[in-house]
Order: sequence, then structure tokens, then C-alpha cells
Amino acid sequence: MMIERFSKPMLAALIGAAFLVACSDDDTASKSQEDNQKEAFESEYKAHEYHPVLIKNATVLTATGDKIEQGKVLFSDGKIVAVGEEVEIPDDDNLEVIDAVGKWVTPGLIDVHSHLGVYPAPSVASSADGNEMTSPVTADVWAEHSVWPQDPQFQLALAGGVTSLQILPGSANLVGGRGVTLKNVPGRSVMEMKFPGAPYGLKMACGENPKRVYGEKGMAPMTRMGNVAGYRKSWIDAKEYMNKWDDYEAGKGNGQPPKRDLRLESLAGVLRGEILIQNHCYRADEMLVMMEIANEFGFKVTTFHHAVESYKIADKLAENDVCSAMWSDWWGFKQEAYDMVESNVALVDKAGACAVVHSDSATVIQHLNKEAAKAMTSGNRLGMDIAPAHAIKWITLNAAKAIGVDDMTGSLEEGKMADIVLWDGNPFSVYTKAEKVYVDGALMFDRNNDKFQPASDFELGIIEPEENRL
Amino acid sequence: MSKVLKSLTGFLLAMTFVMTDVKAETILIKNAKVYTMTSAGTLDNADILIEDGLIRNIGEDLSAAGATTINGEGRVVTAGIFALANQIGLVEIGAIEGTNDAANQLEGLGASFRVDDVFNPKSTLVPMNRAGGVTRTLITPYNGLSLFAGYAAIMDMTGDYESLILSDVGIFATYGEYAAGLTGGSRASALHELESAFNQGKEFLNNPEAIKSGQYRDLDYSLGDLEAIGRLLEGEIPLVISVNRANDILTIIEFSQKHQIKLVLSGVAEGWKVSEQIAEAGVPVMVNPMDNIPSSFESLGKRYDNAALLSKAGVDVMFKGSSHNADNVRQAAGNAVAYGMPYEKALAAMTSIPARVFGGASNYGKLMPGFKAELVVWSGDPFEVTTYPEAVIIDGKQQSLMTRSTRLEQRYKDISNDNNTFYRK
Repeated sequence: MMIERFSKPMLAALIGAAFLVACSDDDTASKSQEDNQKEAFESEYKAHEYHPVLIKNATVLTATGDKIEQGKVLFSDGKIVAVGEEVEIPDDDNLEVIDAVGKWVTPGLIDVHSHLGVYPAPSVASSADGNEMTSPVTADVWAEHSVWPQDPQFQLALAGGVTSLQILPGSANLVGGRGVTLKNVPGRSVMEMKFPGAPYGLKMACGENPKRVYGEKGMAPMTRMGNVAGYRKSWIDAKEYMNKWDDYEAGKGNGQPPKRDLRLESLAGVLRGEILIQNHCYRADEMLVMMEIANEFGFKVTTFHHAVESYKIADKLAENDVCSAMWSDWWGFKQEAYDMVESNVALVDKAGACAVVHSDSATVIQHLNKEAAKAMTSGNRLGMDIAPAHAIKWITLNAAKAIGVDDMTGSLEEGKMADIVLWDGNPFSVYTKAEKVYVDGALMFDRNNDKFQPASDFELGIIEPEENRL
Repeated sequence: MSKVLKSLTGFLLAMTFVMTDVKAETILIKNAKVYTMTSAGTLDNADILIEDGLIRNIGEDLSAAGATTINGEGRVVTAGIFALANQIGLVEIGAIEGTNDAANQLEGLGASFRVDDVFNPKSTLVPMNRAGGVTRTLITPYNGLSLFAGYAAIMDMTGDYESLILSDVGIFATYGEYAAGLTGGSRASALHELESAFNQGKEFLNNPEAIKSGQYRDLDYSLGDLEAIGRLLEGEIPLVISVNRANDILTIIEFSQKHQIKLVLSGVAEGWKVSEQIAEAGVPVMVNPMDNIPSSFESLGKRYDNAALLSKAGVDVMFKGSSHNADNVRQAAGNAVAYGMPYEKALAAMTSIPARVFGGASNYGKLMPGFKAELVVWSGDPFEVTTYPEAVIIDGKQQSLMTRSTRLEQRYKDISNDNNTFYRK
């Protein structure tokens, strides 16, 4: 499945790598051709087994713009079967019917900007693995290789209704490395958490961070013009690398595949449209420069993150079909975060651009629904008429689009993954909590049943030997 | 002049001040839900008459000739938010050192480090937080080289050059992991340092003249710091100490009892585990009810219902927040309520209780006749994320709700019609 997303040259390279490993071991060398084609670090996630569920009498926000009062949501075998006022109820003894009077249902929330696992709790140097600050372009590093699956913050995010999240490297570098999209499920390895079929992201960073980190070391980049030179050099290298592979593919040259280069492989993946640019960029003028670079080299910026000034160029973002991932109200911690307006999300949305509320925080990720509520309120104070049925998109369907999984999840539509949250009230209220959280149709969290309250290894006996941390 | 209390406990002095500094404005808020925080409780449909900077009357069917009337129907009125333990007016942009006056790196300037003199009332953080309902703030320095960060002060959010309400209302200090780091790597060395500071503070109180005139053995602390610690030892003001782990909390309580000082605990991640002991010692606490991340090994037990459990045990709980987004404390209060804290206790945690602990309670924190008219008219439940302030009143005057952020919004809200934004006002 996922292999189809990769270009032939890259696939050849991946197979080559797998073969080399296999050669060192006679047993594995004899494995079937199919096994050998398994790409490195492929998703091993399997949806948990669960019975079919019908939630009825709920207020349902579909994230396609609809609000259904007294709505029903039916899901089975990991997929959404039906959503509406009336749905055909199957004759199935295993069907669990949940009467959700006074409760609300939304798609599972998606955070497009998280560092859970790569900056786990407790925050100590020995497990702070999010920022490879050794070179301005580290497109060769993959965030997933830093993810600690036992980070107790994953479970806190789950209790906040988050079912999928993109884990990104930090923003010290011009190109920080690959991000990975996870299902918020327990796993002994990151591969067991990887969202099957989700494209990789490539983290880039504008502005203050790269120029500060490297400028202080007396090396490039030291300025914003140094930043831009750094990006452009990288894309020139990537283009050359891609052409070499294309030539090899076309049978030109000596028939030997070019040597793999992990850094250029990631960059070339962007040029081929297989890897999505996730660009930390606060200032409007810098976002315009980044879109210019994308035009120059023929790729696309999928999403600007921490896009504090998107409201200043909302029309351009709409024109270029670029998503903006934003906070509701963070500001002032650095100069490029000075021009915050609380209506940023609403203004971007109003212009017809893709608006997303993100966290970049182990705390805010637990309250994305309230962040969306604040952003909605700020827009309405400016005279807009934004309802929860629309604002819910900022943390579900639009977020899914921003990381390239909107054809699979992010809305309550027939056939999509049954990533679903049952809230104990209106999720746009400070008092409301996620009561049940389903990932691919399986109950992964239940506030009222401790059998469905996962605890990572970290939680066990760490304060009292007989107890879990919480 | 700056050290003169802008509002004193004496009603007369307060009146004098109000008469000279605030234009006589009469405001009548009609038909609002009013959290009085007095024995009168919460009034579902009440009027508030404001004259000469003070609340003149609260009741039904009030009227006043020529009053500016605010429609309170469906609205909620509370005392203005008292934001706690932040650097409003001390920092403009966190990452730009030149705009940050919160800490010093001088030897011998710890407990006596005082920052209210450098409070910048024209900082954009003042209107930003005021528009969010913050009417006064407890500003505190950061730790520099010393375990003692320095004096806290209460400032108002009018943006006037005279913003000081009360100076020297407490001395902030730290214990636990961070304190260990400052003193060579162990909590034991931090504790030794605290002991030494308080013992020498006692020596200073007993021999002030000899020490000041140099006829005494050399002490480890500057005269200013010894004097400041002396004020703690005399029980004049509280020591506010940041501490998180349960046994560290008990250590500090024992320490405060040994030296007979007033104590306030800040942080208190594992406070819920020793809530009975905190309550028994009568120590108020400052917590952040939005933080449940076990971010260090000393805060492994951090949880959302900490505020609720402490409050249930009888501890006076206050909420602390950030600087730029100090107004978000009301969302934090909502979170505390969602996790079991009684509503009015959560409201008190950001209004009347800090006034009782740090000062100003004689005329702020309750809505009753004779108290300062320092209040907010909210569009609804102030803890809700869909609610906002419709009117913010300080010293009886309606405050501007305009901010740098709303100016930018106005400039860019119709971006598609005219890209030439530089000529927009």
C-alpha cells in the first residue's frame, strides 16, 4: 500500500538496502520476494479488534460543515458505516448501542504539530531528541527515530480527544528532517504507531531560529538572506540527485544505481510530490519568499506552521492552496511572534485558505477543542458568523489536509477511518471532556472505565510501587 | 514617590486619591449576574452603581441621573482578574534581552531585588491583558544568582505612569531541582543556603547597627538582602517559595515553622499528596491548573485536579499564569472547575484570595459598596472559552479595550479589498 507512494528510483534504493541487510543472513536471504520489498520503517500498525458501535441521540459535528441534532453514528470493522438522523441499524448481536443524550460526537482531533515522543516528559537532556542542531540541513534525520513510545504525554493527548498527530523535528535547522504521522495508540515501537499510508512531512524553518543557532556558531546561516541561500542550494542539490536517479531509471549511464544519499532522498521526495513540506514560518513576508522558492524549484509548501502572520497574506495563501497551522493566542515570546491577532485563524478561513489550529505543546494538544473555540469567538467578535459545525474543521478535516491524510480521516463520512470522539457535552466549552475516544473503530480511551485508560511503562510504580503515576 | 502606596487600607486616603486622580464618572450596570464574593453571594439580576471610582451601591432597580449605563442582561460581573506571578511591564519580547528586566546577575542582589520601579506601563502586555479582563497584577522577578529572586509588587493595569498599588508584598525564592542547580547540585546545599540566609538575617535583626557600621564579622549577604530577610523574619511579608515534590513541600513548611515566617507555596505540583499538611500549616498556594505535564522528576505527580484536591482539604488556592497571556488564567480556572474545584473558589483564586494573601483586600476583590470599582462585565461565564470582556472598569473608569492586536485586526480584516495596508490607520 504505502510502497505505491514512493517513486521507482527510491523503491529500488529501498529494496537494495533491504537486500544488503538480507545478504548477511542466509535465512533472511531466502525470504520471499514480497518480504524483501518491505520498505524500512514501514507502518506495522494494526487497528485493534472491536465490536460494531452505534452512537445515537448525540449532537454530531461531521466536520463537513454539518451539525446533526439527535444524530446517529454507526461504525464497524474500523470504518464509519453511516452518519445521520436516521441510519439503517444492522441486525448484529455484537452491536453496542450508546445512548448519547446531551453528548456530542466529532471526528478524532488531529494535531499537525507535535513533539510528543521526541521531547518526552520528563523534560531531561537524556531524552530530548527533537532537534539535530549539528548542521543547517539535516533532511536525512527522521523524527520517528527519536520517538519514545513510552512518553506518558501520548496518553494525556488521547484523553484530550487526539487520535492522530504529526511528530516533527525541531526548528533549529533550515531543513530539520522528516516528520512522521502517528495514530495515537500504544506501541512497543514507533512502527506500531505509524499512520498507514500517511505521507512523510519534511520540516523546514524560516526566520529567527536557524540564523540564531548557526550564526552564534559563526557559520551560515547568520541572516535571513543566509537562510534563503541555504534552502536554494539544497534544492539545487536535490534536483541533481533526482535527475541522476531518473537517468538510471531510464537505463542511461553504466547501469549502476547512484549511491543513496539520505539527505537528498528526502529533498527529492518533496520534488516528486511524495513528501509534504511542513514549514515553521511566522512572518508573512517570509512565507511569501518561501512560496517563491517553491515556485523556483517546482514543489509545493503544504503547510506553514506557527503562521502568526497568515492573516496578512490570507488571500495569497488561498491562491496557492497552502494551509496555515496556527495558535489561538500565543504571542510575544520572540519578535517574529509579535504581530499576533486572535482572529488569525478566522481571517485565514474567511479568505478561503486552509486554516488549522495546532499545538506545538504537550498541554495545548489536550485542549485543541478549546483553542478552536477561542479562535471561533475571536472571529465572531469581528463580525463573522462562525459556528462550531464549521470551526471543528480547524482541528479535524483541515488538519488532515495539512498532513495529507484527509482522504482517510478527519471527518465523519462513510468509509473513512472510524476515528471518533464522544464528548460529555459541547466540545466548544471549557468544562467539556472527551468521554470515549475511538481509533479505527476501537475504543482506546474511556474516562469512566479504567480498563480503557492506557498507561505507559513510565507510569508504573514511579511514585508509589503499588500504584500508577496517576 | 513611587514607593508611596497608591491605595491604602484607610478609606479616607483611598477617597482622597480617587477624588484627585479619576474623573468623577457615574456608571450604572443594569440587570447583571453579580459575583459579589461577600456574604450576599451571587446576585442573579442586580444593578451596580459606580461613582467617584467606587462601588456606591449594588441592588435592584438602581438609578442615577446622567449615569453611563451598561446593559448587563445576560452578562456576568466579577472583580477584575488579579494576575499572579508574571513579568507584565518587565518584559516586552521574551527572546529579546534588552526588553527583559526580570532578572539580575549581580552578586549580593537577591532577596532585595526590586522591580516595580522599572515597570513599563506602556508595554503592549498591559492593554493586551487588560482587554482580557486583568485589572491588577503581581509582578515578580526571576532568580538570578541567588535562591532569592526578590520582591514582588502589585501594579494596576491602567497603563498610567503611576501604576503601583503596593510594593514589597512578598519575597520570591526557589527550592527543589532548580535551587539545587544554583547552589552546587544538591537540595541539601540549597537548604543549607536557606538556613544560612535566615540565620544571618536573625543576626542582622539582633545587631543591626554593628553590622551596618562594619563592626561585626563579615556576613555572606549584602545589607539589602539581610534587611529583606529580616522583614520575612519579622513576619511583615511572606516568603513565596517555588517547590514541587511532596517531601520538598514538607521540608519547606517545616523550615518556615522553625523560622516562624509567613509562607506561600508556588508551583506545588504534588501538593495534593500532602494537602492535609499544607492545610494544617495554614499555607496558601499558587498553582497552574492548566499544567498536568510531569515535566521534571520533582513534578511526577502533577495532575489537573491538584487545585480541587488542595481546595477540598481547606487550603487557600490561587492561580498563577504567564505574562503575555496572563488573561488565559480564566480558562485555567475553568479547567480547575472541570476537574472538581467549586466555581466560586476558582473565581476567588484569581481575585479575592491573592488580595488577602498579598494585600489590597480592604478595597478590592469583593463587589460591595465602598470598595474600589475594579470589575469586569463579561459576555457570559468568565471561565468559558467563548466569553470575553465587554467592559473593564478600573478605579471607576471604563478602560480602553483597544490593543496593538486589535489595531492589526482592523488593518487586515478586509485584506482582499485593498492590499495597500500601510496607509490604513
